[in-house]
Amino acid sequence: MTPSTPDPQGTHAVMVRRKQADVAPATSALRVVWRAVATIWSVPKARVGVALLGFFVLLAVFAPLIAPYDPSDNSFGRSEDFSAAHWMGTTAAGQDVLSQIIHGASTSVFVGFVAGLLSTIIAVTIGLTWGYLRNITGDVINFVVNLFLVIPALPLMIVIAAYLQNGGIGMIIFVVVITGWAWGARVLRSQTQSLRSRDFVTAAVFSGDGPARIVFREILPNMTSLIVGSFFGAATAAILAEAGLEFLGLGDSTTISWGTMLFWAQNSNALLTGQWILLFAPGLCISLLATSLSLINFGVDGLSNPRLREGANR
Amino acid sequence: MRFLLTKVGLLVLTLWAAITLNFLLPRLMPGSPADAAIAKLAQNGPVSNATRASIEAQLGVPTGSMFDQYLQYLGNVAQFDFGVSYTFFPQSVAGLVGAALPWTLVLVGLVTIVAFIAGTLLGVLAAWKRGTWLDTLPTVGGTFASAFPYFWTALLLLFFLGYVLGWFPTSGAYGRGATPEFTGAFLLDALYHSLLPATTILITSLGGWILGMRSTMINTLGDDYVTFAEANGLRPRTVAIRYAARNAILPNLTSFGLALGGVVGGSLLVERVFNYPGVGYLLYTAVVNQDFPLMQGLFLIITISVLMANFIVDILYGILDPRTRR
Amino acid sequence: MNEPLLSVRDLSVVYEPRGGDPVPAVTGATFELQQGDFVGLVGESGSGKSTLGFALTGLSKPPARVSAGSILFNGVDIAGLSLADLRVQRHGGFAMVLQSGMNALNPVRSIRNHFYDIFAAHGHVSRADREERAKVLVGKVELPSSVLDRFAGELSGGMRQRVSIALALSLEPKLMIFDEPTTALDVLVQHAVMNTIRELQAAEKFTAVLISHDLGMVLEVTERVMVMHEGLIVEDNTAAAILAAPQHPYTQMLLSHYGDPRAEVVEVPGLAVRGTARNVSSRVASREGRAAREAIVVSGVSKVYPPPRRGEKPVQAVSNVSFTLEPGASMALVGASGSGKSTIAKMITGVERPTSGTIRFGDLQVDTIKRRSLKRLHTEVQMVFQDPYAALNPLHTVEYILMRPILNFSQRRGQDARRRMLELLDTVGLTPVEQFAARLPHQLSGGQRQRVVIARALASDPQVIIADEPVSMLDVSLRAGLLALLDSLRETWGVSMLYITHDLLSARLVTDQIMVLNHGAVVEEGATASVLRNPQDDYTIRLLEAIPHPQTDR
Repeated sequence: MTPSTPDPQGTHAVMVRRKQADVAPATSALRVVWRAVATIWSVPKARVGVALLGFFVLLAVFAPLIAPYDPSDNSFGRSEDFSAAHWMGTTAAGQDVLSQIIHGASTSVFVGFVAGLLSTIIAVTIGLTWGYLRNITGDVINFVVNLFLVIPALPLMIVIAAYLQNGGIGMIIFVVVITGWAWGARVLRSQTQSLRSRDFVTAAVFSGDGPARIVFREILPNMTSLIVGSFFGAATAAILAEAGLEFLGLGDSTTISWGTMLFWAQNSNALLTGQWILLFAPGLCISLLATSLSLINFGVDGLSNPRLREGANR
Repeated sequence: MRFLLTKVGLLVLTLWAAITLNFLLPRLMPGSPADAAIAKLAQNGPVSNATRASIEAQLGVPTGSMFDQYLQYLGNVAQFDFGVSYTFFPQSVAGLVGAALPWTLVLVGLVTIVAFIAGTLLGVLAAWKRGTWLDTLPTVGGTFASAFPYFWTALLLLFFLGYVLGWFPTSGAYGRGATPEFTGAFLLDALYHSLLPATTILITSLGGWILGMRSTMINTLGDDYVTFAEANGLRPRTVAIRYAARNAILPNLTSFGLALGGVVGGSLLVERVFNYPGVGYLLYTAVVNQDFPLMQGLFLIITISVLMANFIVDILYGILDPRTRR
Repeated sequence: MNEPLLSVRDLSVVYEPRGGDPVPAVTGATFELQQGDFVGLVGESGSGKSTLGFALTGLSKPPARVSAGSILFNGVDIAGLSLADLRVQRHGGFAMVLQSGMNALNPVRSIRNHFYDIFAAHGHVSRADREERAKVLVGKVELPSSVLDRFAGELSGGMRQRVSIALALSLEPKLMIFDEPTTALDVLVQHAVMNTIRELQAAEKFTAVLISHDLGMVLEVTERVMVMHEGLIVEDNTAAAILAAPQHPYTQMLLSHYGDPRAEVVEVPGLAVRGTARNVSSRVASREGRAAREAIVVSGVSKVYPPPRRGEKPVQAVSNVSFTLEPGASMALVGASGSGKSTIAKMITGVERPTSGTIRFGDLQVDTIKRRSLKRLHTEVQMVFQDPYAALNPLHTVEYILMRPILNFSQRRGQDARRRMLELLDTVGLTPVEQFAARLPHQLSGGQRQRVVIARALASDPQVIIADEPVSMLDVSLRAGLLALLDSLRETWGVSMLYITHDLLSARLVTDQIMVLNHGAVVEEGATASVLRNPQDDYTIRLLEAIPHPQTDR
């Protein structure tokens, strides 16, 4: 077999330009990221997810420009039906529903991103350390992680949130992260354990590399798909949990978010007045945002489990 | 036998950790919830010393050493003494929880088992008929439905089937004026009231089970023992069920145990939407009224229930997998 | 001439990966099998031999597809049968024993139920006779009837493969296809299982096809051999004829790689002829700047692992092993898997610590070495790994992989270090060097990867190389080239080598001294040629007998 090199000159040029002794870290890291993105995009389901997520992110970022009114402006008529001025009507407090929906995207996207990121950071840190521990400390971490996995997260969040009383978005992110890191930690730990026993890790020891370099250059890059996957998983859970907590009235009820919209809708008896859009629109947005993240995860799965890829009919 | 002993030991340890977490929670929080609780309770009438001590043990007041408080708390828990609710003063937390628990256990427990079994079967079918509509429909539907927040599905069903069409009752676990008793009429009424909440939990949790089973089943279908079974001309049904699905269900049981907490959490919100008198609705009431003793007691009971369910799943795993028996 | 049992005409199989171009796997295969034939199908990895085997038993699955031709079995074209008809055909028709027989059994179903499932599917054994029949079948593969109560996880690899054979046999097949039935097994077990297959074939008179990468073994066992290369059957003749006068160059090449380690002169392409005695003293270190030259001294080393499960006995992996690896020497450590040879390698390289005994390398006390001193040890003692697919991080370029030890162990920096990296590539024969430096492991073949692994081991300019089965994962035709490379590097660089293997032929070719390990203890040692030519220990003799000897048998 004589494989053809795609572009020896190009890669070589990059190598030469970097005069330092340290070789090729940027290229391989970039390549991993690029390959991950390309793999996600190559799965049709994930492509739909990326498009959907892109839509919500744009909505979130440009909410003040897109929204027709200030979302907390309550100077309009109360519980109005659809009209040219208010495409989705107004709330019982006299706010424009469409503007609230658009601004709600900011809250959800922000919570999902921040809580997902923090959970993932904790998960990676604990997962990697834990994967390297074989003594009693490892057993203790095992026990703690399993405890956090089996304890029902939402009741725990509710109890903590109740103690912290109307803490707003920061509090919600805090409780979501506290309860949301365990799953990722567990997945990453088993992957760490399997990777550290591979020959190429032993070979890095023989090449004189230190523990930090081995973790960050040999093990971590091989877990990219899992880390990305657990980020999207944690973000999905965070978005749903945030909505749930706010729906129960545990957040700051003056925050403009899809969860608080549902809270007010239920409390102002939108069900009885027949203003179904107040229920339907925020919930649909939450679902679509969560779906977009799950769909992207189909592409991430494709990175690590080729058998899950589409096709190959039996 | 060793397997069973290990599992029982782990259960005891986990229970202890959960109880301790419940003890620590209020003490880790800023402010003194116990003072707030006693102040609130005092509005209902004079607070006896016994009640005060009990609340302090439950919620933590900086009197006595932490260790003494812990011992007293453990003693109280052992006697199912979770203090007194002040929302429903002077009823005990234990009594309130005891009344609410059966509703949740039956509703959430039964529906979850049904959803898991149905989801597993659909997942097996989807993997076996890969690429056909039997695969695509449940996979796409499942992905979408499992992204629905539980309470939103509940609200939609309530609105359309309850209010707009009027097919189902919109609130409660049984008709107004009925008293819980074991008669056919009452049970039928209760079943009727449980249909919407049950459907909600089913719709929202089914997708996850389908997707999980499908993916593990696809993995086992590629395993050598499946190929060998086909080479030996076994009946397709035997290959699908006794060889592929029988092995695929094992990892899924583990994730079933771990996902239980999420389902229970979601169901609590569903109870809130339907005003269903289970622990979820009670927890909501406790939170709204800042009834800390009730909240703590409920959290503990919910956690213990999930831990017990997990224990049962673990034992079931041991029975199904000969490798753990050695 | 009788009507043939199996008649294959112009059979082609293609792989149609989704989103990729179809790749032909088997092209225009044409042959006939008579009732009672025992035929070998030989080829290296990727030759299409397994694909052909799967097609013959109607097991082709996407992305593989039979694209042309016919497979007439008893006059019926299998290629055109529906799945349901095919299933019925399997009783009294064709059976297959899979390559990885280790995993061919359902882990959650008892062995008895495996038999009962087959009986139930075809209805050829009445309910009352099932137990008796299953007992007879496991008896045929020399297993006690108590295995029926067991689960796959409770059986050894050899026993599992025997169960698979008994299960295939329970179909009462006219044609049995064995796809690498012994590859995953240990040397001695391989030999025993192969003997069972031979005896069964002789007694039951089924037609058998033995698919294997090992031409030597196939020649020894079968009467007729078909050689496959890149999807084509390039040679089809009796075993005796192929042995005497192979026609196709590919067959000739394969055959040239076989030799008898017991012979006085052993020769394979690329490796020099060796007499009984190799002249050790003539090899002087030619390395420049080699300051000290140290020996590895292993004395009285034992290793006991804690019990794998609670309640079981601790595992004695190595017991009381002593030897000295002199500078520039080449020593073989041979034994079946589980003999403790890899554990010894791990202890010498400081990866594991011995339970008792000492290991010294110069002034380094390896048995109690500190983490800090490990780097010093690895400057001088390097390792060549067994599996070239696992030993290279898939995400790093060859350049990165080779630069790490250069930067860590030498004072070279910048262009100087890079020049050294390219030199190393040149040394292991990966030219043009710039092209190979930029490649990722998946762009290399197995043999090329193993050359990178060897280059990495040389990068620190070590005194000792531990080579753990360095060629066992490679195709036969590649092995000699790599062994020759290792051998010549050792001589020109003056490195000593501990060569760990189960393959006595390669040990004979590249080492001067040999130690035979059985259950962690040294049972025989001495000069390689004399030990292999006049083995004293029973275990060594059995190892030698397990090697196929097509020439001597006929």
